[in-house]
Amino acid sequence: MRAARGIGLGAAIALLALVPWIASPTLVQFGITTLLLAALAQSWNIIGGYTGYASFGNSVFFGLGSYGTAVAMAQFDLPFGVGMALGAVLAILCALLFGFPLLRLRGHYFAIATLALALAITGIVSNLEIAGRNIGLVLPLLKGDWVFYEMALVLVVLVTAVVFWISRSRFGCALIAIREDEDAAAVMGVNTTRYKITAFALSGFFSSLAGGIHAYWITFVDPVSAFDISLNVKMIIMAIFGGPGSVFGPLIGAVILSGVSDLLSTEVSNMASLFFGAVIVLAVVFMPRGLVHVQQNFRRLRWRYFAQNVRNHRI
Amino acid sequence: MPPLLQIRDLSKRFSGLVAVDKVDFDIQTGEILGLIGPNGAGKTTIVSLISGTLRPTSGHLQFAGTPIAQLPAFRRAHLGIGRTFQLMKPFPGLDVLDNVALGALFGAGSGQRKLTQARDDAAYWLDFVELGHRKAQRADDLGGPDRKRLELAKALAMRPRLLLLDEVMAGLNHTEVDEVIAVIRKVRERGITILVIEHVMKAIQSLCDRLLVLHHGQKIAEGPTEAVLADPQVIAAYLGQRRV
Amino acid sequence: MSLLLQVTANGILLGGLYALMALGLGLVWGVLNIVNLAHGAFIMLGAYAAFYLYTLLQIDPFVALPVCMLALFCLGFLLQRYVLNLIVRAPMFNTLLITFGFDVVLTYLAQIAFSADFRAVNPVYAGANFAVAGVTLPLVRVLAFGAALLLTTALWLLLARTRLGRAIRACAQNLLAARLYGVQPRTIYALTFGLGAALAGAAGDLYGVVSQFNPYIGNSLTAKSFAICVIGGLDSPVGVIIGGLFLGLLESLTALYVGPTYTDVASFGVLVLILIVRPTGLLGRTA
Repeated sequence: MRAARGIGLGAAIALLALVPWIASPTLVQFGITTLLLAALAQSWNIIGGYTGYASFGNSVFFGLGSYGTAVAMAQFDLPFGVGMALGAVLAILCALLFGFPLLRLRGHYFAIATLALALAITGIVSNLEIAGRNIGLVLPLLKGDWVFYEMALVLVVLVTAVVFWISRSRFGCALIAIREDEDAAAVMGVNTTRYKITAFALSGFFSSLAGGIHAYWITFVDPVSAFDISLNVKMIIMAIFGGPGSVFGPLIGAVILSGVSDLLSTEVSNMASLFFGAVIVLAVVFMPRGLVHVQQNFRRLRWRYFAQNVRNHRI
Repeated sequence: MPPLLQIRDLSKRFSGLVAVDKVDFDIQTGEILGLIGPNGAGKTTIVSLISGTLRPTSGHLQFAGTPIAQLPAFRRAHLGIGRTFQLMKPFPGLDVLDNVALGALFGAGSGQRKLTQARDDAAYWLDFVELGHRKAQRADDLGGPDRKRLELAKALAMRPRLLLLDEVMAGLNHTEVDEVIAVIRKVRERGITILVIEHVMKAIQSLCDRLLVLHHGQKIAEGPTEAVLADPQVIAAYLGQRRV
Repeated sequence: MSLLLQVTANGILLGGLYALMALGLGLVWGVLNIVNLAHGAFIMLGAYAAFYLYTLLQIDPFVALPVCMLALFCLGFLLQRYVLNLIVRAPMFNTLLITFGFDVVLTYLAQIAFSADFRAVNPVYAGANFAVAGVTLPLVRVLAFGAALLLTTALWLLLARTRLGRAIRACAQNLLAARLYGVQPRTIYALTFGLGAALAGAAGDLYGVVSQFNPYIGNSLTAKSFAICVIGGLDSPVGVIIGGLFLGLLESLTALYVGPTYTDVASFGVLVLILIVRPTGLLGRTA
């Protein structure tokens, strides 16, 4: 049974890896965007889904990854790998530096503090000479979307593997305990500070890698696009829609939402906003625990599942 | 033998309200100490101060020779202090087995390293409290008495040296009380020292070696159970009405 | 020295407007425990309402205040009554997400309808100044400050002296008890949210007169309103005024001594700092 699943998964990954050679260029581009969003949703899942600290500012890590890569490549002619490493280091430092104070906040305070942090860092970066201020930086061009596609695919597999490990490890149990009841977790011996910060840093690490790949792919960074607030929306809603605190939920959410938004729109980024906004509202009202939870309970409750969610939360 | 827990001059204020007022006492290894007093006397506050959920305003706490007043809760758990919560807090999304497994994973020492081993420990402790048959159920599906057993199993899985029980008998009928008394006796036979907060007389009289009585945050009596229960001051505190 | 005085005066005038902006957010947060991430979008819509009322119908922006307020009130009322009421008892995170969703949709619709160009409302007297003690005070800013203070006082009176205000405060403190006294939470909640939106609309109207705007100013204004509420606390409108003045002065002084592009950094940096040091609010209580 286990072996069959493993083989199936391996086959799926292999198939996905072949996409650049069997699909149209537009589809490959869609694939890269979706894979990067899936990676972001999955990395948000670590701090938001498993640990229960809903960060509204993970876009800051994506931005730091983008800028780290851009500065290294555009200003210092360093190779891509070094750029990614720089971006990752920046992101982890940021997570550690701000994680300590911010993770002491609960609930919506944490959410808005991370949002404010993202806005503050955007402001700082747009004033830095080395980062090209408001104009941004241009990166060297690498021809061949397939490279970015494969990199994004590897990233998704990597971060999902980490989440899979989390879901069955002692580390993951600590995160879940913190999410369910932080005081009780502390009393039972969980060093909550250490685990929260580690989760936050992990989340930032993978988000930054996605940012690095994205920056190199579109060969351009500026404060508005690198630290795009709407990325927050997307990664959160994809994780939530699919199922926060599950291994495959965020991936499913990313694929479905990205796919539908692409089908609906003629101009990719704009219409997407309307679609995502509407999805958030509907999902939060009717299925706040995501598709995975729906799937687990639908057999038992059928349509009453959705009605129940509303009835439990309305006045 | 030195006492397992030494409390000196312990006080806790909550901006203006003095919940615990210069309390001194010891808990000897292997004994069952009862902490009694009217509602609002500060009993749960003292337990929270010992477990680390709250920090003291002043005073000293020493556990097995180690000063613990400045230690965070999880370090105290590693030293061997376990507690149950009066308002039971099962981890709602998890099943019963995993709730207890958490205690095994992170408890005394730094707990188990492997999840499978922790689950085996958890199953053992669930059987110990006679809740084994429910281990696959969701924790928040349990009824009142079963929740108390779950709380107990969670604390035991941490392998505590000192177990702090906060009103485990509340809301139980006579049969259930007898069952829990039997379980607590089993716990004592393991060599675990116990501090019990209780209102149920039957439990106090049959379990506790010594009693500590709190009233308005202050200790008003301490000593062997029979003597304390006969103390007129204690009786007045429970039954006497203060005119406001 | 007179430069410092000028900057201080600018800061105070800006601060009054900021206080009005934050008032709506604080009201909804304090009563409904909803942190409305679409608050900035409401402000933005108020600015556009004033803009179109002026350019199409030549209605002076200060005269248009009641109209903007009414329009936003209706929007807020409907959103609360038919959407937000459905998740009021859910964890806070859900309301954050939903209002984030509103923000995204409203911003998108605004961008489609109004384009991304920067606009401003420029009535004929826009350039008028008057000088007081060596300090130049633009007329529109003084008027905006005055309007802001007026509306803040009006809100305070509403909450403290009217039946509706009492009902709102009752719901804030104890929903069950309020129900027992015959208060209908669904309606009161909708009215309160509508009121918060109306205040945002007024702030937007005034904002449009003193500054430029486009569909994307929402997020930044929401964050600033939040900062003001955290600084000033939710206990009373006075705290919000102090918070608003503080932020206005901070931005003015930052623009002078550090650089105009650093004002946002200063505001959000201070917010992060306060949340780190005193998360329950500086002056009043927000927890």
